[in-house]
Formats: sequence, structure tokens, C-alpha cells
Amino acid sequence: MAGIKGSGTLPGSYAVRVAPKQYLLQNKNLMWIQFSLGTDLHTVFQSYGNMPLVSISDEPDTLYRRLSVLVKGHDKAVLDSYEYFAVLAAEELGLSIEKVYEPPRKIERMTLLKSVHVYKKHRVQYEMRTYYRCLELKHLTGSTANVYLEYIQRNLPEGVAMEVKKTKIEKLPEHIQKPIWGTLPQVEETVNES
Amino acid sequence: MLPRLRGAWTPALLQCAANSTAVSKSRSESRGTRWRRREVPRHNRLLGIPRTKKMPVDQDWSNVYPVAASFKPSVVPLPIRMGYPMKKRAPPSKEGNLELIKIPNFLHLTPGAVKKHCAALKNFCTEWPTALDSDEKREQHFPVEIDTVDYVSAGPSIRNPKARVVTLRVKLSKLNLDDHAKKKLIKLVGERYSKDTDILTITTDRCPLRRQNYDYGIYLLTVLYHESWKTEKWESEKTDADMEEYIWENTCSQKNVLDTLLRIKAAEKISDVPREELLASEIVENYKNSVVLLKNEGETEDNMSKYKESVKKLLNLQGFQ
Repeated sequence: MAGIKGSGTLPGSYAVRVAPKQYLLQNKNLMWIQFSLGTDLHTVFQSYGNMPLVSISDEPDTLYRRLSVLVKGHDKAVLDSYEYFAVLAAEELGLSIEKVYEPPRKIERMTLLKSVHVYKKHRVQYEMRTYYRCLELKHLTGSTANVYLEYIQRNLPEGVAMEVKKTKIEKLPEHIQKPIWGTLPQVEETVNES
Repeated sequence: MLPRLRGAWTPALLQCAANSTAVSKSRSESRGTRWRRREVPRHNRLLGIPRTKKMPVDQDWSNVYPVAASFKPSVVPLPIRMGYPMKKRAPPSKEGNLELIKIPNFLHLTPGAVKKHCAALKNFCTEWPTALDSDEKREQHFPVEIDTVDYVSAGPSIRNPKARVVTLRVKLSKLNLDDHAKKKLIKLVGERYSKDTDILTITTDRCPLRRQNYDYGIYLLTVLYHESWKTEKWESEKTDADMEEYIWENTCSQKNVLDTLLRIKAAEKISDVPREELLASEIVENYKNSVVLLKNEGETEDNMSKYKESVKKLLNLQGFQ
């Protein structure tokens, strides 16, 4: 397995699959242009030339135990549609969905004076509603997570915000495996003689 | 207001003349048939058949909406109505409806289009390693967990200062620590250690960048680990109040038990039994276990009954209930 030291027992390679960033962008633009000519998606790849789109590098992929995507918006219907889209995309890419739930909404209300000057008894009230939707995925590799998150975030609707909480799992650093005090050369302690 | 063009050949009229067979009347003809309505309305900018009428039923919808675009009533063939209805009327139709244009639409993300996108993106994804299918294997090989948060929102700036916070979590049982090192580390770390789950949580946000905070977190873990293995000179001054758990050796409880047993033996006039034998005997072991349980875990039904049994055996009071 590429790039991992001291873990020969782990079978299965998970080398990073890196998409050169510009390819992903240009694919989308190309899709738009090509569709106006009425051609199919598949011809985009062939007509772009013989450049490889996927390059595999040697560094080991990061592993995410959990990816928690929280979307916030003012309109519940928009979040419903977005959740349908995100869940469909996750299923198509073969990701395991842990759970999808709706945290309770928050309403911020403010009561302001209606008039510019005087008239304290006449006020006007505004409220700002924030609806939430949370989608939790488990067991992703770094490349898959990057691909999925980029796709999701490019298609984020207007007026919707997102927070992504990633839980990465890692090995213990090498310098923590054993205590070092036995192995260091003895340094003579100098005593302050005043 | 559009300017009135009497008899002038506007581009729209030219186009219409090219497409349709009906010819607009010239001035001489219209005088005779003055009250007959014109074949073509004068101020209509959008002449031509809307795209909805020209769509085949089996078309590819991703050709109509390949990218996110606003709602166009002449392109979407659905009879949608949206908005608050006036009295005794239906909600406003889709022509010229601002509500439909304002709301974000997902017409470019139909299930067919999403499946096509995902099929193209599948090449860039990697599989989760099949060897790491159980929790124990994951914890054994990858015990450290790093939590980071990314924020996406629209605004004047894409940066969010909360994004630099990094949380590091590790179980102490996975670290190579001996008894003294573990106790010292727990004392050093204080509130960041949770006894129920045996997880040490380090949250760093003092550096301006996320990578710096991550490095600082790893550095803190390293320093804690190595410091806890060291034994300083002043650690020998640890008092009973500092101890995390009750240790029975060298306590007055032990002395009392030995005293009592020796006196019992002296009363029965048995020769002096050496102290080590008394300590190692089962009765004293039982008593020691029950006292340690009581002190460490508190008073429960189980613990109290064990203590009662051990005291009865110690003092030979088996007859009592």
C-alpha cells in the first residue's frame, strides 16, 4: 500500500485519487456548452482530447469516520428539496448514510419602534426564521469526501448556508509510541551554587 | 411604454412575416377593414411559439436546464401557479410571476441529471478499506480522532474565524502508559479527561490557521505523554489527599486488622504467627478487598454486604445474621 509505514497488515490500497481541479470545473462548463449543441454527456470526455482526468498519487488517503453536513436556510421547502438531492447523490456515489434528521428551527424576533421620532406605543415586529437539516455520512475516504462535498457545495441554493463537521481518524504519531527518557544520553545536572 | 410604430417594419414584425403565412395588412387595405383586428398584435415583443409547445415528450430534460438558472415560464411546461390569490380567483399563473423567479429551483437537479453527474464523478471516488470494517480494528489502528468544521455561506467574505478550531480526541488505553504515567497525565490534563469514556479531548484555537492548531494539538499530546513518564523529585511528597484511589497497604486499617488478629491469637494462646502469613491469609484478603471497594466505589448494597461477610469471618462471628 502506497505511503504507509509499519502497517503491512492492512490489506487494500487506498491511494489518493486526485482530480486536477480545473477538470472538474471545465467539465461542468463543457456540459453546458455541449448540451446547447444537443450532444450526449459521454461525448464530452472523448472530444476533450486524450488527457487523463484521474491521476493517482502515492500519498495515503485520509480516512473520515463521520461527515456531518448541516444546512441552514430560511425556507423549509428549499431545504426539503436539497435534502432529497444530497441523499440521492450520496446513494448514487455509494456512500453509507448514517442518519438524516431535522433539528428544530430557531426564530429570532425583534420589536422596533415604528416611527422615526416619538410614538413609543407603536411598534413593529420582525422575525427571522432559520430551519436546519442534518445529514450524517460515515466511513468515507478523503478523495470521496472531497468529491461529494464539492458537488454538494456547488449546487447549494441561494440563501442556504452549510457547516461540514469532519471527524478524521489517524494513527498515533511515531514520537508517542515509547517514552524517550531511557534512551536519551545522560546530561549531568548542573547545580546552582550561589 | 413601447413607442407606437405605425406601419413601420419592426424586427419582430419582420420575423413574423418570415415565419408565418399570414401577412400584415398595408395601410390601404387596413382603411377598408378598419375594425377588423390585426392578425398580429402590435406591441407584442415575444412573437414566436414558446419552447414548451415545441418540446417532444421523450426529450432529455438536462438539455433544457443543464445548469442552475432562474425559472422561465416559456421553457418549463408545467402549469404552476404560485402566490396569494385575490378574491374569488386562483393563485397567479406562471406568466410574469415574480414569486416563481425568486425562489431557488432545482430544475437542473432532477434525479436523471443527478445520476448522470454521479456516474461521471464516480471515477474520482475511492473505496473505504474493507479491512477496517469493525470499530475495534479502527480504534486499534487509528486511535486518534481529529474534528474540524468547514463553513460555507454567502457574504462579503468566504472566511469564517470559527473554521480554525481543531479538536483532538484519543483514548488513554491506546497510549503506552504505565500506572504512574496515567495518573500523572490525568492530573496534568484536568477537565479535558472524561473518566466514563476514557477519552482525552484537546481543543485548540489559539493559532490563526487550522494547520497550526492541528500541529499545536499534536505537540501538546506529545509533551503530555513524555512529561507523564518523568518522575520529579517533588512527586515523592504526594499525600493521602492527592491520591486518586484508596490503596490499602500501609494504612491504619491494615495495622488495626493485624493488631486484632494478633490479639485473638494471643488470647487463644497460639504461638506467634508471622505477620506476612497473617497478611497473606484469605480472611485478611477478603477484608482488604471489601474495604477498598467501599472506599473507591462508595456505599452500595453489594459493597456493604461484602464488608459484613468479611468482618464476620475475621472475628469468627459466623453465627450472627
